[in-house]
Amino acid sequence: MRNLLNFLARYNNLIIFLFLEGMAISLLTTGNSYHNSRVVNGVTRITHGFEERISNIRNYLHLRDINANLAAENVALENRIDRLVKKEDSPFTYVTDTIYNQQYFHTTAEVINNSINRQKNFFTINKGRLQGIKNDMAITCGGGVAGIIVGCSENFSVAMSLLNLNFKLSARIKSNGYFGSLSWDGRDYRHAILSEIPQHVFVTIGDTVETTGYSAVFPEGVMVGTVSDFEKKGGDFYNIKVSLTTNFNTLHFVDIISNLKKTEQLGLEKLFQ
Amino acid sequence: MINSIIRYSLSFILLILLQVLLLDNIQVSGYINPYVYVMFILILPFDIPSWLLLLLSFATGFLMDLFSGSPGMHSAATVLAGFIRPHILNIISTRDGYEPHSSPSLSVYGFRWFLIYTTLIVLVHHTALFYLEVFRFADFFRTMLRVLVSSVFTISFILLIEFNRRGK
Repeated sequence: MRNLLNFLARYNNLIIFLFLEGMAISLLTTGNSYHNSRVVNGVTRITHGFEERISNIRNYLHLRDINANLAAENVALENRIDRLVKKEDSPFTYVTDTIYNQQYFHTTAEVINNSINRQKNFFTINKGRLQGIKNDMAITCGGGVAGIIVGCSENFSVAMSLLNLNFKLSARIKSNGYFGSLSWDGRDYRHAILSEIPQHVFVTIGDTVETTGYSAVFPEGVMVGTVSDFEKKGGDFYNIKVSLTTNFNTLHFVDIISNLKKTEQLGLEKLFQ
Repeated sequence: MINSIIRYSLSFILLILLQVLLLDNIQVSGYINPYVYVMFILILPFDIPSWLLLLLSFATGFLMDLFSGSPGMHSAATVLAGFIRPHILNIISTRDGYEPHSSPSLSVYGFRWFLIYTTLIVLVHHTALFYLEVFRFADFFRTMLRVLVSSVFTISFILLIEFNRRGK
């Protein structure tokens, strides 16, 4: 205590000076916004350097947790995207406009007579003129091409099967868009021949073959089959063997597709032929 | 004693008024800001207790801060000047020391002594004041120039007043 008093007596000058000066400086830094901001900036600049280093180290040590959090967040976001996308898509999947701008009309029928072992095969379906069936309507089965209506009675129709030497179909390879003519060679009910594909085109086994829609009979993009074999034969074109999607041996329920705008398209095309 | 208190109070008020009413309104250029009020610290008697000197310095500066709207700036500078004054007096003391119960004056201790005394304290005060005002070392030499130019003017004013005081 005595020492303390001695100390105070000895340095009372300095203590009072420091006290008053400290008061003045604190007034200076708190009372003036300019000085205040300068001090705060200076202090934060010093402390910020340390804090940045510490937080860098801390971040490195917590990388595992951060990764886990990011992964969880990713999953949550993906789920959310799925929900939103479905919501956005729903108007296109569930609402079909039957009055305006519809091009194709689908109806179903049953095959009541069928053949696959002749050169010119036909099959008969149980719907006819009274049910709205007309000539040149397309027939598919399970998403694959089956044939074309060639004759109608009141309640029955006869369709030319794909397995008919007279059947010609415009088809293309889905992967590159080159189109050719598809026909049956009369040998095997599981395979047809796609010709007129030029040889510079890159074709691989397993390529999808689908309709083009050029004929105004079949809609665009109906599956025909897949490439099962191909050879370069003589001229400039491939000879591609297509494994058919439709199993004509078990043909039973078929879809009949009518092109509502077929007369319009054909009429226009006829003007220029 | 009472007499001297009244005399110092009067000179205190006069110096503050001179500073606030006249000198603070002279705007010759950004470099010339004479602060003559610091003279009050100069002319306080030799035997004043240092705590009183510091308190009076603080009071002077605080009053100036109130007038100039810059809390703490003048206070810090004047407190520093008040703290440094006894040390400067020790350093530049004359051969036969200071007479007790007297105050630093030009008439008693001569022009040269008074000029050195004034210059040292004014320089300390102005340096502290101007660097606290800009509060950065970015324009270090510009600020130093301001300190020097303003000090010259302040010292001139103080010497002018001191000459007149001697005449009384």
